[in-house]
Amino acid sequence: MTRTSRGPRLLSAIAVAWLTVAALATPAGAHEGEESVPALTQVQVAVAILRTQPEQVDLAADRINDATEAEDKDGVDIDRVEQAKSALEAGDMAKTELLLEQALGACPGQPVTNPAGVRAKLPQTPCPTPAHELALGRVPLHGAAKPTLLALGAVLTLGGLVLTWRIR
Amino acid sequence: MSDTTVDRPLAEPPPVSRRQRLVDALDERLGLKALQYPIPAHANTLAYSLGGLSLISFVLMVATGIFLTQYYNPDPAAAHESVRHIITGVTLGGFVRGFHYWGSMAMIVLVGLHLLRVFASASFKRPREGNWVIGVALAALTAGLFFTGSVLKWDQESLEALEHNIEIGKLLGKFGFWFSDTFGGIPLLTRLYVVHISVLPALFTLAVAVHLLLVKRHGMAPSPFGDRAKDTGPEPTRPFTRHLAELGVLGLVLVGVLTLLAVLLPPAHGPAPIEGIEVTKPPWPLLWVYPVEDWIGVVGILWATLAIFAALLVVPLVDRSPELHPRRRLPVVIGAGVVVALIIGLIIYAAVRPVASHISM
Repeated sequence: MTRTSRGPRLLSAIAVAWLTVAALATPAGAHEGEESVPALTQVQVAVAILRTQPEQVDLAADRINDATEAEDKDGVDIDRVEQAKSALEAGDMAKTELLLEQALGACPGQPVTNPAGVRAKLPQTPCPTPAHELALGRVPLHGAAKPTLLALGAVLTLGGLVLTWRIR
Repeated sequence: MSDTTVDRPLAEPPPVSRRQRLVDALDERLGLKALQYPIPAHANTLAYSLGGLSLISFVLMVATGIFLTQYYNPDPAAAHESVRHIITGVTLGGFVRGFHYWGSMAMIVLVGLHLLRVFASASFKRPREGNWVIGVALAALTAGLFFTGSVLKWDQESLEALEHNIEIGKLLGKFGFWFSDTFGGIPLLTRLYVVHISVLPALFTLAVAVHLLLVKRHGMAPSPFGDRAKDTGPEPTRPFTRHLAELGVLGLVLVGVLTLLAVLLPPAHGPAPIEGIEVTKPPWPLLWVYPVEDWIGVVGILWATLAIFAALLVVPLVDRSPELHPRRRLPVVIGAGVVVALIIGLIIYAAVRPVASHISM
């Protein structure tokens, strides 16, 4: 083996070994029937989909269906999940997400002041009327600030690169 | 005797420019010319400027952080709303927050690359082992600054990060008392804010000062790469002030790139945190522990983090040969390569995995 060929072979061996470990270490639940996945997990994934990929409505609907059919329904208010299913069919995404969160015992709208031990018990008092603040997304700059800052950034970047080249 | 002295024509002193007089006046009072000590030419390369750029990133974080503290409210009931106000209601608030966000990413990357460069060029070897340990401490402080900063925005991801922090505090037993939300009677978020804006920056500044003093004390480490490896005679030197000038222009590029990123890709702000759900993943620099947590639980975060820093700390003890070039230190270099590949692989794997609940409800 020549010295030059050792590096790529070594990298390939590391990549294969890592992929093997990753594949073997995948949680068993990923390969089991959907009914064996707890309703809690299904609802959490549905909430995550609605929050991060709201365009994937079908994916969220599948998870909600799977939650209602799960064998293990511990810690989930299935009535709320059924209501969420109806809300999703009606196209009301905000209500769907709210109902799913409440199905897990979460209190949207209630300020979080003490996160310690929060998962130990479901809320003892009814949740307040939710002033549900959804994600803000990317807020672009308006007015003259945007072109001014873009020009400044471009001048600093290009000017810095030119100076770096000239100073060496 | 005195007559002959008077009769001899005096040599005209060379004209001194106004700029030179200013430099001399400043040097007399501040000792600026002491910075003109010689350093090897290889120090004026990008690879050997990564440490300086990391420090520039830190300074930029302090400057933008001072702006953000004027509007941020560290009370858990008001923190999320105050961040929204910074983005939507404060003049250039969204831009400064974006600059701070991208600057923190840059700092993480630059510190990581600086660490890898020092490892690759064996710059940690005798007599620089102590400075390597301080460098590892600086990397840990950088990680701490990043983590606490990611909690302060107080969206769903932040709450879940803090809940994991509390769980890890419990694993530490008596030593984790500080992470309890009941300690001190002040909410943990508020105390993390104090840590983010004062404790960690103060420790970072102190450690950087010692780091730089030791670099000065030991001199710039030799480079095993390029012509220097061929031993073609003494390496040319340049004044340190030249290195500072080059660092300054690289800093301009950094500021320019961060400005463009803050304008073109302003960071989003997640929804207000809700207790009882776990539906997010950590930001990418912390994502490598996510699969570890999948496999062995929250304790995996603690052990994986301790393992990485312990491995970094013992590097000077494991790699003690006088060899500098990576090719002549293959076992150690391969070991490090495997660790780096594993971390990158874990980040990619976690990014494509669905979210999972780790803290039992």
